[in-house]
Amino acid sequence: MDVSQYLEIFIDETKEHLQNLSQQLMILEEEPENADTINEIFRAAHSLKGMAGTMGYKRMQHLTHIMENMLSEIRNGKIDVNADLVDVLFQCLDALETYLDNITQSQDEGTDDNEAIIARLNGFLNGESGEAKPKKGKKKAASKEAETEKEQTKDIKLAPFEVRAIKEAFRKKMQVYKLEVHVDENCILKAARAFLVFKSLEELGEVIKSEPSAQDIEDEKFEYDFTIYIVTERSMDVVKATVENVSEIRKVIIEEITEVPDVDETVEDEDDEKEEAKAKTSESSAVAVAEKNVPATAKGGAVGAATKTSGKPVVNRSVRVDIEKLDVLMNLVSELIIAKNGLVSVSSSEEGIVSLGFNEQIEYLERVTTNLHESVMKVRMMPIESVTQKFPKMVRDLSKKLDKQMKLYITGEDTELDRTVIDEIGDPLMHLLRNSADHGLEDSEERERRGKDPVGNIYLNAYQDGNNVVIEVKDDGNGIDVENIKRKAIEKGALTPEQAEVMTDKEVIDLLFKPSFSTAKQVTDVSGRGVGLDVVKTKIESLGGDIEVKTKLGEGSAFIIRLPLTLAIIQSLMVEVGEEKYAISLGNIQTIEDVLVTDIRYVQSKEVINLRGTVIPLIRLHDILDIEPSQENVESLTAVIVKKGDRQAGLIVDRLIGQQEIVIKSLGKYINNNSKIISGATILGDGEVALILDANALV
Amino acid sequence: MEDNKIEVQSTQFIVVNIGIEQFGIDIKYVDNIVRMQKMTRVPKAPKFFRGVINLRGEIVPIMSIRRKFELEDDTFTDKTRIIILKPDQQEPIGIIVDQVKEVLSLDSENIEKVQTDLNDEKSKYINAVGKYNDSLISILNINGVIDV
Repeated sequence: MDVSQYLEIFIDETKEHLQNLSQQLMILEEEPENADTINEIFRAAHSLKGMAGTMGYKRMQHLTHIMENMLSEIRNGKIDVNADLVDVLFQCLDALETYLDNITQSQDEGTDDNEAIIARLNGFLNGESGEAKPKKGKKKAASKEAETEKEQTKDIKLAPFEVRAIKEAFRKKMQVYKLEVHVDENCILKAARAFLVFKSLEELGEVIKSEPSAQDIEDEKFEYDFTIYIVTERSMDVVKATVENVSEIRKVIIEEITEVPDVDETVEDEDDEKEEAKAKTSESSAVAVAEKNVPATAKGGAVGAATKTSGKPVVNRSVRVDIEKLDVLMNLVSELIIAKNGLVSVSSSEEGIVSLGFNEQIEYLERVTTNLHESVMKVRMMPIESVTQKFPKMVRDLSKKLDKQMKLYITGEDTELDRTVIDEIGDPLMHLLRNSADHGLEDSEERERRGKDPVGNIYLNAYQDGNNVVIEVKDDGNGIDVENIKRKAIEKGALTPEQAEVMTDKEVIDLLFKPSFSTAKQVTDVSGRGVGLDVVKTKIESLGGDIEVKTKLGEGSAFIIRLPLTLAIIQSLMVEVGEEKYAISLGNIQTIEDVLVTDIRYVQSKEVINLRGTVIPLIRLHDILDIEPSQENVESLTAVIVKKGDRQAGLIVDRLIGQQEIVIKSLGKYINNNSKIISGATILGDGEVALILDANALV
Repeated sequence: MEDNKIEVQSTQFIVVNIGIEQFGIDIKYVDNIVRMQKMTRVPKAPKFFRGVINLRGEIVPIMSIRRKFELEDDTFTDKTRIIILKPDQQEPIGIIVDQVKEVLSLDSENIEKVQTDLNDEKSKYINAVGKYNDSLISILNINGVIDV
């Protein structure tokens, strides 16, 4: 009955519902009369309420409950949707997101009751319907209380360790309550209701005893009532209300245990006993776990986690995988085993047949591993939608905050990227969008003066391009004012006027990616602190991608991000330099050329070749890698032409080995910082290690 | 050598030979001892990194203690071993030793701390000297040695 194992699912699903809520609210704002949308919002709020309730997040549950009330009034046509109301709903969404963040961080929803929002919601409810719905429940509870006050709970015998737990609770000044819970006789899923009771109680304190045992209750081996002893710091009313909150509970009789129940236990020396009691309590909870499947420590665990100050989320990252993909994986793994068995039988068969059968098996094995790789990659791939879907709301908020009219258009949300990239790309994209909204777009009057649509447009386009995924953030705003940047740079002393004079526009724009450079005339809290584009660039480069800017003054600008499809496995060209083998990512390679020694020219005493009209510098890998050059006098050299952006270079190697799919491994922190030309290592078929050359660092 | 295990309470050290000196490595740092194998040189790495090896699918950098201590360069023999160290919370790293001699357990009374001489870079590699029978064993300060 521990709920922590469901936490991940809860977080995932809540995220989904919140996302849905956000999307639907955006629609509602546009079309206040859309009944489908209202229904959808209602359903989302309802699901959220149920989930929060199950997990014991009371504040979240309360907020969603009132939201639900209001939405139901809207649905019934008693309240009209207006901008104010949508605004409140957006506030609710923000509040719920905060709760979720807190839960993700510390398993605890936090202590913010969001009274203001609730008050506004109630204002709508009262103003329009005149009925204070949320209070009804409480009144009912109160009347129930009155009627059950005099009832007595049944007598239950306690085991010695349970008594000790009670004693321990007294010592800690905690309350012990005995609850007799009566389930409604028409209730179909008694066990489930009982489970909810247990769970909500475990949120409040420690359940030390139940009659019948938790296991029996779980197996529905009880009539309509059961009794629970709970140790808690909360008041009797809270405990009672909590249990009564579970639906289909007919009544709850609660009484406080004020004296230690009778047990035949001799009281020992105080100090001694303290220690022992402590030990026993923990033991008793351990017993509880083992015997009754009640993790009495759940609360303790949650508290422990909550007190952790680190901002690291306590929840593991998880991926939801289509079951079909898993089936394919399963099949491939079984095929892998068959292939292995095939190899075993070949190796034990007659000599003559060996070579033939062996090759066949190897081919089979290769096919299986290739498929396996593909399927695993697919499992790791996620549509970029999971990142972009939060943007419409963000742009809406920005629009309000900056007091500019703008609209976001997203295309290609189904473009898939590796999970690791997806996790990292959100912040840079968000930053670029903010950038567009704040710096890019002009305000409405300005736009109208220029004959543009007063509503600014921001586009986020994602698409696949070969082995890359391209994400563009475009706006139809003012574009980047190169002269303005130059002026700024000179002001800041980053450039001399003479330098600025000779700079190309591209070089100037590159300045934007330098640390602490912001062109916003004013620093707003949206952007303009100068810790922006350089961070974006660093992040994208760390993901193996690059970023490029296209801009036209007066017409808008576009930030174009290119990312590799995947990070862990790449296609590479294996080359030999001296005796050593190196891998070069195929993504960087343009062509491979034979270069006649006589064709080599010198520019500024550096070797270059003229390749079909382009002058390309040559890089002798021997020199870079400190390898003795081969002494033979050769007539021609093999050059691998690599490209970075629009720069090219020819890497001179001794021999080409061939194309190979390699798994990238890190060189580790001991060596890595010393040489940027090596981006990692890989293990070859014979177990040997080959290093991966980073062509980007060489060019 | 790998199976050399003795049951004792006091600290256990793997005793290795590097040159004429005996060094002790606290067994808690030792992950594995492997034979010398082909290493892949890493260009531009510090000289005392002789390269990297593949240890069951992991890339492990290998450091030459001789180069680090500025002794005569390594000569690889049958007895040369790579000791894979796994310092707490850190990635594994291998060090090359001439020979692995034995596993010793030393009581604390037989271990004498040595002062770190701030002027001598190399003194941070040793943090104690152990006495065993008649011989002296320099106890390596692993964190100092692998600090690059």
